[in-house]
Amino acid sequence: MPISRFLLSCSRRHSTEALNLLRSGICRFYPIGRPKEMQSVPSKRIQFHNYCKSSKKPNGRLGNDPVMAIETQTTPRSWGTYAIPAGAILGFVGLATFIHYNDERRVTLKGQGTSSSGNIVMGPIIGGPFTLVDTENWVVTEKNLLGNWVLLCFGYTSSPDVGPEQLQIMAKALEKLDSKYNARVLPVFVTIDPQRDTPAQLRAYLKEFDPRILGLTGAVSAVRQMAQEYRVYFKKVEEEGDDYLVESSHMMYLMNPNMELARCFGVEYNADELSEAILKELKRNPIQ
Amino acid sequence: MAQPQEAYATRNPNNIRTDVLAEARQACYKARDAFYACVEKETDKKPTEIASVGLLYPSDCKASRAEFEKLCRASWVNHFDRQYCKNRRVQRLLDDKESRRV
Repeated sequence: MPISRFLLSCSRRHSTEALNLLRSGICRFYPIGRPKEMQSVPSKRIQFHNYCKSSKKPNGRLGNDPVMAIETQTTPRSWGTYAIPAGAILGFVGLATFIHYNDERRVTLKGQGTSSSGNIVMGPIIGGPFTLVDTENWVVTEKNLLGNWVLLCFGYTSSPDVGPEQLQIMAKALEKLDSKYNARVLPVFVTIDPQRDTPAQLRAYLKEFDPRILGLTGAVSAVRQMAQEYRVYFKKVEEEGDDYLVESSHMMYLMNPNMELARCFGVEYNADELSEAILKELKRNPIQ
Repeated sequence: MAQPQEAYATRNPNNIRTDVLAEARQACYKARDAFYACVEKETDKKPTEIASVGLLYPSDCKASRAEFEKLCRASWVNHFDRQYCKNRRVQRLLDDKESRRV
């Protein structure tokens, strides 16, 4: 504030010198403008002119009155020396204000902080369209699953220990949710071994855990595409003809009724913890 | 390229492999536990027989080993053996540390 004010006062005091400058310099920049116009214009244009042209001064006003106070120097360089730092300071202040405003906007009040712990996926978009076949040989796409909360897991029937354990936990948790809290979650099991897991095989396998689990299989390419969308790693290991194991990432994905990922669960969850966590998610987004 | 990959499924569309269903699994787990219990019990005896993936076991446990291999699939046997070796190694590491401290 004060800087611009006293620049203005400077300009008024030394308007004649300023006029000369203007006539010589600004005519080059603003060929349309007349010096008289320039006189009435406030210090902005003068500032600009001096900022650009301060190095190439034809008029020798520099040596006048060096003893005088620096602020009242009439040389055009004075405008420049004040314009540049002023501009810089203003720019810096503007940037600081912007950052501060941005921080304020993003603030989470104390006490309302992290209601959701580490497993929220904020990174790549997990999920996407798929076309698979269920145990009754019906084609199932992601559109069929809209409108339900879905607990999705990937595995294969020939898994020695992890697969059955995971399905056991899933079945127990869903049982608990259904009986105690009356919450409907649709369990879906997608096989990452479609070559060996036919629909009939899946049906026999899943029936033993829970008849509500929807088993999905399909062409190898379709399964691979879905696994890619859900960022599931799987690989055949220990291959001996038809007998092999499939190494995979063991994750359960909880999808909301719009088929967007709400949460993912690793193997560290047991049935009780899983049902508690799912219930929390359901309560958080009541998109029934 | 898709032909040989899909071969198994098209070959046996209705063939259900029962050796991965619950009953078979339980039987396999039992045999496995029996075998490893035997190995644990006979740790003083010198392991002479070779199982898979570098696991050695004393010849007293041959019978349970045969049972184990019969009831479980070969890939599962390898898997369990590898897991057992890993656990043993970790146990040994922990035990050794303790003895050294003493």
